[in-house]
Order: sequence, then structure tokens, then C-alpha cells
Amino acid sequence: MAFLEINNVSKKFGATEAVSDFNLQIEKGELVSFLGPSGCGKTTTLRMVAGFEMPTDGRIVMDGKDITDMPPNQRDVGMVFQSYALFPNMTVAGNIGFGLKVMKKSADETQQRVSEMLSLINMPEYAHRYPYQLSGGQQQRVALARALALRPDVLLLDEPLSALDAKIRVSLRAEIRAIQQKLGITAIYVTHDQEEALSLSDRVVVMNVGKMEQVGTPFEIYNFPTTAFVASFVGTLNTVKAEVVDPDRKLLRIDGVQLETADELTGRKKGDKLTVAIRPERLNFVSVEKKANVLDCTIENITFLGSIVRVQVQVGSNHFHMDTFNNPFLELPTIGAKDQVTCSKEAVLVLTN
Amino acid sequence: MKIKNIWAWIILIIGLIYFFLPLLATFEFSLRMIKDRYTFEAYRVAFTDAQFYLNFGYSFLWAILTIIISLLLVVPTAYWVHWRMRKMRPWVEFVTLMPFVVPAVVLVFGMSRLYGGGLKLFGTPILVLTGTPILLLAGYVILSLPYMFRAVDTGLRAIDVRTLTEAALSLGAGWGTILTRVIFPNLRTAILSGVFLTFAIVMGEFTFASLLYWPAFGPYMEEIGAMRAYTPQALSVVSFALTWGSIGLMQWIGRGSVQEVAAVH
Repeated sequence: MAFLEINNVSKKFGATEAVSDFNLQIEKGELVSFLGPSGCGKTTTLRMVAGFEMPTDGRIVMDGKDITDMPPNQRDVGMVFQSYALFPNMTVAGNIGFGLKVMKKSADETQQRVSEMLSLINMPEYAHRYPYQLSGGQQQRVALARALALRPDVLLLDEPLSALDAKIRVSLRAEIRAIQQKLGITAIYVTHDQEEALSLSDRVVVMNVGKMEQVGTPFEIYNFPTTAFVASFVGTLNTVKAEVVDPDRKLLRIDGVQLETADELTGRKKGDKLTVAIRPERLNFVSVEKKANVLDCTIENITFLGSIVRVQVQVGSNHFHMDTFNNPFLELPTIGAKDQVTCSKEAVLVLTN
Repeated sequence: MKIKNIWAWIILIIGLIYFFLPLLATFEFSLRMIKDRYTFEAYRVAFTDAQFYLNFGYSFLWAILTIIISLLLVVPTAYWVHWRMRKMRPWVEFVTLMPFVVPAVVLVFGMSRLYGGGLKLFGTPILVLTGTPILLLAGYVILSLPYMFRAVDTGLRAIDVRTLTEAALSLGAGWGTILTRVIFPNLRTAILSGVFLTFAIVMGEFTFASLLYWPAFGPYMEEIGAMRAYTPQALSVVSFALTWGSIGLMQWIGRGSVQEVAAVH
């Protein structure tokens, strides 16, 4: 039995179904991210686990106990909010110790735990500062310490880094992951930032219009997206319509050019239409003569993205992006030139819907 | 730029004259109780009158009670409206505007009629409240509603009520703790604004106290005004000083809070 179970949970707001038949089992110590665009239901699901929203259907079970109808202040859950939500009238120490005082812990224990938490977030000298005297990143670290001070069974993080600038975001997400692993706490992390979800999660749940699209490790989600939505939402992806030529030999056709895939085409028959996806970094210019998976193309555009150079090519009526690592000696093609691109059969992903 | 500055000064001076000249005239008149001399005799007379202390004391008592009732009524209501019923906010705001729409004299007659035996069950009057200060206090609470609600509402708008409440809930806090340790302290300035405005209104209120026959500072001033020439002017100045003192106190207590709120958001 998993530590946290979200079983067939749905949530309706009037006629709108915000979350539909959500099922997820989370193991103890696991960090699971809910990833999706705005309005996909990820925050609503998190809020149902926190107890701020009641599911219309389904049950939530934590450590074998059904907490579906339990008020939020009786659940053993800590929460970190996007807007920090520090109490402006309390110092950093006051904020971190708030939950402990509510739980009527002794002054010594509260003091000790507050010190522990301040050390954990590397802010021991900030105990007597007020929230308005801290930067956004510091405020969020205090909010994390406050949520962890009660040693909750589950930590919920609702887009905690969205309000911070890019550099702080990267360092703080590493810090959050390190703290989560150090304490071995079960955590759910809501984000719309795919890089964030992929970099710090044990598993990622990709959501769209209230439904789970795919659940998997970051590696699985990125490399083997099963739906067109996941393929398009996570990373940059070239998706094209293809036609099955020979299901047994796993051959497809795109604009008259034959492509081989490593994916199974079980249940497909010749002439079936489907969508295939190829990651930009899996495409290369043909340097040695190759017979399979070679596509004639025209160079359309070249974009410099720092460590990566993105080349846009036209293949028949389709437009593909091709990523190559930047280096000072890179020979870039000329816009308008004719060339050939290729990819391995493993790079040609067949999407299920 | 310079011409613009000159105009700004001219307008300011006209404004100051408009507001302060009548007050200065009142003050000057209050000092002329003894012929050909400026003295504080009128103030001495006012402050040696036992009736002054009695009526002032009653008004003070009514003000304190009104403040307590208003706070207990308005703060949880405004908080709940912000936390759970945001769509109801315009309606609640509309209700609080009642004293601006219905004159005090109409309110007091309506209340006297309804709670003075007008409310009957099987022909027997119930809830007869005339003769108790409940009607007076209820009237004062209604009078203070627009000021108290607006002050608290403004304070609640400045903080993220929903997230702060949820943060406190996730830390195990109950409603009592949330209100007393999270919401009230962060509404300190807003609540104090409402408190001092209510205080100033009740201290000078005339209609309710007069028509419900309760001793208060307003009717006392009116009575003195009918009998004496200089003492009422002195009391007017005292009344102004009291109001300004309240506002000054409000400003002093609220100092720095704008900076804090701005930094938090």
C-alpha cells in the first residue's frame, strides 16, 4: 500500500470539471511533481490533498487513514505557497515557530526546532528579521522551514519558485530537493515549469484539462511521451502526421519519405494515420552516406540559444527543429541551402493519441 | 513650473482659511467670556460643571461599547467575506451604507416602534428593548458601520487573507488562533482607524441619544447651547480637539505600516 493514495478523485466547480478521475499512489519519501499548463487542475488536486478543497468524488488516503473529509488543520500536511504567505506581523523565528506554538510544544522544544530549521535553510542569523526585510528567495526558504518545522507526513509545494527570478529559482530548487531527500519527506510539487519538474522529481504527473496525461520518471516523460500533449508540453518536439506503411517492419511514411521507428505498431494496419514525434536534439545533418531515415530538407532559419543552436528546416510540407550543441568552431549551414537530416529509428516516437 | 507651484499654494491657503477660519473664530469667541479680556473662563465653567463629566462619561462608555460590538460584528464578517464569499462583498458594502441612505431620525423612530412593543407574538409584545441602552448601542453600531467596515475592508485588501488563512490552517491553527494571531495583528492599523472614527462619531452623536433619552455629550452640548453663549463654543473646540487627537493617534500608530505592506507585496 502506498503512503499517499489519491483514488478516483474528481472535483467540479459548478458545471466545470476541474479534476477528472485522478488516480495516483505516492510512496514514502517520494517527490512527485504535477506538471501542466494553467487551469489543468494541478493546484486543485494539491488543494484537495491539503484539505482546502473537498473532492466531488473519490478518496484520499494517507498512511492508511482516509483523510478526505478531514479539516486542513487536522491533516499532517505542510504547505508552501507561491506567494510565500509568511505572517507579516511575526519575525522569521515567529513564523517558523507558529505551528509548534499552535501544537502547544514547550518553549525549549520550539526554540530548538526553530534553530534546527534556520540551520537547515542556512539562515540562522535571520531569526529576528521580519518578512519585509527579506528577499523573495529568503522568504520562500523561511516558508519552507515553517512548513517543515512540524515534521509533516507530506509536504505540498504550490509553484513555490514562480515568483522568483531565474537564477534564484535554479539554486532554490536544488536546495528544496536536497532538503526533501535529507529529511526523506513525501512531497508533491506543483509547477508549470517543465525544467523544474524534470530536474527535481522522482516522478512527474503531466496534466491537461483536469486529466492525467502521463505518469513517469522525468526520463520516461521526456524520452517516451505517450500522448501528443505530453510530447508537445515537455521539451521542444517535432510532431508530424505519418502513415503506416508496414506495421511488421515498423515502417512509416512522412510526405512520401519512408521512416523507420523502434516503437511497436501492434494493432495498426497499412494506411493507418498516426502522429510521430522527434526531439530536436535527435536530428542530425547527414555526414556519412546513410540509407534509412534520411529526409531531404531546406534550411529555413538558425537561432542561437546560448549553449544550443536551433536550426529550422523544411521537410516536404513539415517544419522541423534541429538542435545542435554550440561550439566556437561550429560550421552553420546557409539559410535556403538544401541538405539532409537523419535520426535513429529509436528517435521516431509513435504517439498513442 | 513656478506658476503651477504658486497656484498650488494659493489653493492650499484658500483651503486652510476655509477650514480653520470658522474654528479660529469659535476659539476666539470662546475666550471672550469676560468682557475686554481673553480668558479660558468658558473652559473653566465647562470643566467645573458636573453634568459635563456625567454626559462625557456616558458618551465615552457608549463609544467603548459600540467599538467592542462593532469589532465583534464587522471584523469576522469582513474577514469571512474576503475569505469565502467574495461575491457577497458588494452586498455587504451596500448594507453598511444604510446610515448614509436612511436618516438617523428615521432609524431611531423605526427601531423605537419595532422594539418598543411593535413586535408581537400572539398579540403579546416581545423583544421590548426601549428603556435599555441596547437600542442606543444598536443605533450607534449602525451609524459606525460604513466607517468600521471600510477601514477593516481596506486592511483586508492589503493582506492576502486567503493564503495567510490557508498557511495558518496548514500549520494546525484553528479559527480563534487565526483571527487573534494572524488576522487581527495584521489589521492593527485598519482596525484602529475604524475604532477612532467610531469613537469620534459616537462622542458627538446627538439624534439617537436625544430621542432615546440617554445622557450623552451631544445632547448636553445642545442643551448648553440653548442656555449659554460662551461655554458651548468652548465645548465645540474641545470636541474638535478630541476628534483631531483621535486622528493624530491613528496616524501615529499607523506610521510605517504602508512601507511594511508595500515591502511584503
